[in-house]
Amino acid sequence: MARQNYQDKLDELREDVLYMSEVVLERLRMALDALERKDKEMANEVIDGDDEINQMYLDLEQDCIDLLALQQPVASDLRFIAATFKIITDLERVGDLATNIGEYTFRATKDVFPEVDVQEIGTVTLDMVEEAMDAYDREDTDLCRDIAAADDDLDQLCERASEIVVRDLIERELETTDEEDVEDLLQDVSRLLLTIRDLERVGDHAVNISARTLYMVENDDELIY
Amino acid sequence: MTQQNVTTSESDDDSSTASPEPGSGIASNGTAEAETTTTRSVIESRNLDVYYGEERALQEIDIEIPAEKVTAIIGPSGCGKSTFLRCINRMNDLVDSARVEGELLFEGKNVYDADVDPVALRRRIGMVFQAPNPFPKSIYDNVAYGLRVQDDTENLDERVETALRRAALWDEVNDRLDESALDLSGGQQQRLCIARAIAPDPDVLLMDEPASALDPVATSQIEDLIEELAQDYTVVIVTHNMQQAARISDKTAVFLTGGELVEFDDTSVVFENPEHQRVEDYITGKFG
Repeated sequence: MARQNYQDKLDELREDVLYMSEVVLERLRMALDALERKDKEMANEVIDGDDEINQMYLDLEQDCIDLLALQQPVASDLRFIAATFKIITDLERVGDLATNIGEYTFRATKDVFPEVDVQEIGTVTLDMVEEAMDAYDREDTDLCRDIAAADDDLDQLCERASEIVVRDLIERELETTDEEDVEDLLQDVSRLLLTIRDLERVGDHAVNISARTLYMVENDDELIY
Repeated sequence: MTQQNVTTSESDDDSSTASPEPGSGIASNGTAEAETTTTRSVIESRNLDVYYGEERALQEIDIEIPAEKVTAIIGPSGCGKSTFLRCINRMNDLVDSARVEGELLFEGKNVYDADVDPVALRRRIGMVFQAPNPFPKSIYDNVAYGLRVQDDTENLDERVETALRRAALWDEVNDRLDESALDLSGGQQQRLCIARAIAPDPDVLLMDEPASALDPVATSQIEDLIEELAQDYTVVIVTHNMQQAARISDKTAVFLTGGELVEFDDTSVVFENPEHQRVEDYITGKFG
């Protein structure tokens, strides 16, 4: 095959993006575990690891720029690099959201709303990102569309969870007026609502990845916004 | 160059149906902000075959080249792209073994009809070649040459100046028009050849690798010039440089080995999402 060196570089870029996604997914898993177990050490590991993800992002961004500048890709190669350029931004943002969840671990004192299953929401979002990257790897456009459809279910799940919290707050008669207790409750509630929102955003990034993958494979922009 | 919605080939119909969401121009197939206008075709080939002796150099070429646009012809060596270009103004008549079948219409008239004078045809379809080839005459005489040959010397000074201005050369040579054209740089010589080609005010300008012998600066000047010329002329350019085709053309025709026209579409479509796998393989370098 002609331009073997160029083809090798494209293959390498794809492999590196998949590796970045594995690291990001692992950090999100750890953040959710840390939150559930109140494991501050693990949470710290997630927070400290964000620099590594940022550096991966910058390196991959440079790889894309180099390929554009030096190889003048066209057609499916161009769409692959254009899609990858966007997808690494989504992965970097998922890394940031994992860091946020890690930080909430330090604020969480207790699970004030046991009926809200954050871990369930977390599992759904983890699966979505994993599947989106699988679609990117295997160029599976059906899977891209499935992920976009699944995001509606995730949004509903998050909305129901937020409603439980807000409704309870409205209806709840506080057992204490102690300012410190109220402050703790405020922290816990705010942490929980932010976690739900962040997980919902992870789902959005999974959809973005699917949308760019669909464009990459079929030049189809139906899922982009 | 502004994209337009031309309706000169079947595949255009597909691309014109794309309706991207706002902000998603990345997959717009070049028609996102297109005006809905139909562009007139000035050159049209129908079932055009060209043979050199027994060897068929072009196979059943059907194409409609839009007026006042830049159409690029790309393809590997020996695919027949220069042969096609030379069919348009009957330069292949000069090759003894060349034989043309089918039709090549210019403004609706088959240029191979018996009543067509090839010399008169070439006045309306000018040509610029790969290597700059000014005559060993003064700058002025080079540009005036075609007009004088036609005995069309009215307002000659004015028309020479106009041609040099259109070729973006006037500012560099207006104080030395009587100096030898051979003293100009390679890029200036090529722009002089363009001025010479457009001085008789043709309808079509054929360019066969016009920048391949030039350095990057001279190349970019020629490319800028081609885009400007397309406001007044129909430009058909053969180039080996795919990025050049991508940069300057509105439409791209891809000829592949065997003298086959495989794809003809808006340039943005050809380079972002070509219809044919063979074209994809060629432009991404997987060919061969």
